[in-house]
Amino acid sequence: MKILVPVKRVVDPFAKVRPTPDGFGIDTTGQKFEINPFDEIAIEEAVRMRERDPAVDVTVVSIGGPECEEQLRKALAIGADRALLIETDRTYDPPSVAAELAALAADLKPDLILMGKQATDDDCNQVGQMLAAKLDWPQATFASKIERAEGSLTVTRETDTGEETLELPLPCVVTADLRLNEPRYIALPGIIKARSKPLERRPPAAQPKPRTRLIKAEAPPPRSAGRKLASVDELFAALKGKGVI
Amino acid sequence: MASVDTAPMGCSFLTTTPASTFAPEDFSADEQLMVATAEQFSRKEVLPIAERLEKQEEGLMPALVRKAGALGFCGPDAPEAYGGLGLSRALAARLLEYLSLNPSLSVTIGVTSGIGQVGLTLFGSEEQKRQYLPRLTSGEWIGAYALSEPNSGSDALSASAKAERRGDRWVLNGTKMWISNAKWADLFLVMAKTGGGGLSGFLVERGYPGVSVSREEYKLGLKGSSTARLVLDDAEVPLENLLYEEGLGHQVAFNALNLGRFKLSAMCQGPAREAMGLAAAYSLDRKQFGQPVASFGLIRKKFAQMAFLFYGAESMMYRTGGLIDSAFRREAGCGIDGNKRAAEEFSVEASACKVFASEVQAFIVDEALQCYGGYGYTEEFPIARLYRDARISRIYEGTNEISRVFMSSRWARRTREGRAELRTAGDSFLSELLGKAVAQPFDDQIRAGAISDLMMLGFVEQSSRLRAARCGGLQPALYSALLNWVNVRAAEAYQVVTGQAVSLPAPAPFDWDQIALAVLERKGPAV
Ligand SMILES: Cc1cc2nc3c(=O)[nH]c(=O)nc-3n(C[C@H](O)[C@H](O)[C@H](O)COP(=O)(O)OP(=O)(O)OC[C@H]3O[C@@H](n4cnc5c(N)ncnc54)[C@H](O)[C@@H]3O)c2cc1C
Repeated sequence: MKILVPVKRVVDPFAKVRPTPDGFGIDTTGQKFEINPFDEIAIEEAVRMRERDPAVDVTVVSIGGPECEEQLRKALAIGADRALLIETDRTYDPPSVAAELAALAADLKPDLILMGKQATDDDCNQVGQMLAAKLDWPQATFASKIERAEGSLTVTRETDTGEETLELPLPCVVTADLRLNEPRYIALPGIIKARSKPLERRPPAAQPKPRTRLIKAEAPPPRSAGRKLASVDELFAALKGKGVI
Repeated sequence: MASVDTAPMGCSFLTTTPASTFAPEDFSADEQLMVATAEQFSRKEVLPIAERLEKQEEGLMPALVRKAGALGFCGPDAPEAYGGLGLSRALAARLLEYLSLNPSLSVTIGVTSGIGQVGLTLFGSEEQKRQYLPRLTSGEWIGAYALSEPNSGSDALSASAKAERRGDRWVLNGTKMWISNAKWADLFLVMAKTGGGGLSGFLVERGYPGVSVSREEYKLGLKGSSTARLVLDDAEVPLENLLYEEGLGHQVAFNALNLGRFKLSAMCQGPAREAMGLAAAYSLDRKQFGQPVASFGLIRKKFAQMAFLFYGAESMMYRTGGLIDSAFRREAGCGIDGNKRAAEEFSVEASACKVFASEVQAFIVDEALQCYGGYGYTEEFPIARLYRDARISRIYEGTNEISRVFMSSRWARRTREGRAELRTAGDSFLSELLGKAVAQPFDDQIRAGAISDLMMLGFVEQSSRLRAARCGGLQPALYSALLNWVNVRAAEAYQVVTGQAVSLPAPAPFDWDQIALAVLERKGPAV
């Protein structure tokens, strides 16, 4: 079984970010970058499948500049077999990422595309769904459990009303939620082994055609100091006074 | 064969200014990934159970060692042929620094991956290495180093444990005191005297007849680590477990310590790093007079001072790591003799690292505790533990007094042997002072100790200067602050040697707040 795991390089999700002075983006100078945490969960899941079945082959792919190699090497250290960098300096919106990944899937013919449900930088939560639509493959989003059967997967997904269990034929797209697994510590021997694993670079299949444009990035207004209230009645009166209720 | 490499020699920092030196900035991306694993391991597996470790809950620490072993932390710089990872010693020290956020864990891992293992790596026979190293590097076995005795500490050569050859085995008698890891160690490197009167090293398995371990010492700190006596009562050791040659055990013991002191400085930096971070977070949170205590000038001054001292220690110790690595590269393939030369080459630098880093650690945990006020004095907050745990660093692996005796006397000895020169480069105010100071006799301990201080301060100053010039950012500011501090200390030491006062150069300008704010923002060292 061939698994393709898309990996996005994001600013450290625990870091404080600031808009650039011109307000057209996020200031990334001096920031640390990580694998998008949901993607790391997807990589972990794929690597566990490979550990259970040596016939599984895991390819990770990133779309972006040469700096993304850092995250791809990390994915290889976790245990992916090979990495692919689709090298570009252009900006991609979710439909463009989905289009590029769909082109790649047509070439690599994976049985499963396992990916994060969303990225922590823009929180779009769109690529998995768009990709499944473009490929016309079945999809299961927000997976909290994945089980393999012959030619299919059983996926438990978390919904607002409870857990839902789906059966999907391969090939399919599955997006990972937080509770799917807890990623491992990256063992030092794995990091050393990753040095000799293949990392291929290729140009994008097509130029991105973003349909949206960022026109402004603003830091949230600083929180003003709160006030301690003695009783529920006081709270009620205060909310009423402000016209909130 | 020794190569004709132009790599630096021990003590050459005193007489030359190198073009560049190794610094933490030189770790590659995948090396940094390894360091990140060490930090995650500390934060997720160790710090949350610090209190249980303090109580020495049965089996807890050995289980952590095995987990650490599976990740590669029990033999990162051991040769790959014996289960190690073959990484650089500088990187192994960086890993240990991040495993030291809890000092009880780091002394346990530091001993089994360091002085409890390196004697075997450097001096072991092929058979011995094949038999024991893979078990130690994997974390399956835990190692210990047994040199000290109740009546033989700093004067290690006066050990009274004895080994006698009886038929097909060695029989050992004596008591080894203060043995780290004794409770859970599977293999002890034991130093004992043989017929000729010299020390010899023995690889002693815990299970050998006549080997036992006494109750735990009741310590001031490092309560999660094991320290106990190893009792050898007609202990039977196979003949082939003599390590290296009979009567040459002191070479094994002291060369293990030469490298051990370098690693120990990393074990001082880790807790200092953690103490700074905790104090920064606390000071931002704690409000008095309507504002966070972190906003007060005298609290900020503490953070700035912690930061530039930490920077000085860090610059010197990773430079030393790079130097030790260069010595081992140069001696690769030269067998045990090459290993000996490599381990000894930078012994002065390693001692300087141990002394400086342990004293910086003491300063940092003390001032960090001060930031907590009365809360720091209780066991409710982790800073009290870091304070207690720090005290040992100035005592073990050669007290700071012994190390101060060692530095200047080894410089003089290397000069007599033609491996150094008793003069200085004159590339700084301090270097000029030291040049004048060594022109006078320093045969009493007080003067010799002050010369050692000047050597150490000079090494800190030069290492930080070269690193700051190359790396930029906040580093030149840290260097300026450090330089002013170093010069004052140097003038003091000079006065001890010569009885004369010196006027200091004009202080380099820097901004206390700029450095302090970096510590507060990063919740840790300024860079
Ligand atoms: C927690 C802990 C763990 C340890 N782990 C180990 C271990 O794993 N293996 C091991 O072998 N040992 C270990 N030790 C022992 C440690 O290395 C010794 O305690 C240390 O070397 C000092 O020896 P001592 O305690 O006998 O002090 P002493 O040698 O009695 O020194 C007393 C004081 O006199 C000073 N002094 C002694 N000689 C001189 C001199 N010539 N000039 C100037 N000053 C001098 C010392 O600096 C010190 O201040 C450990 C100790 C502790 C407390």
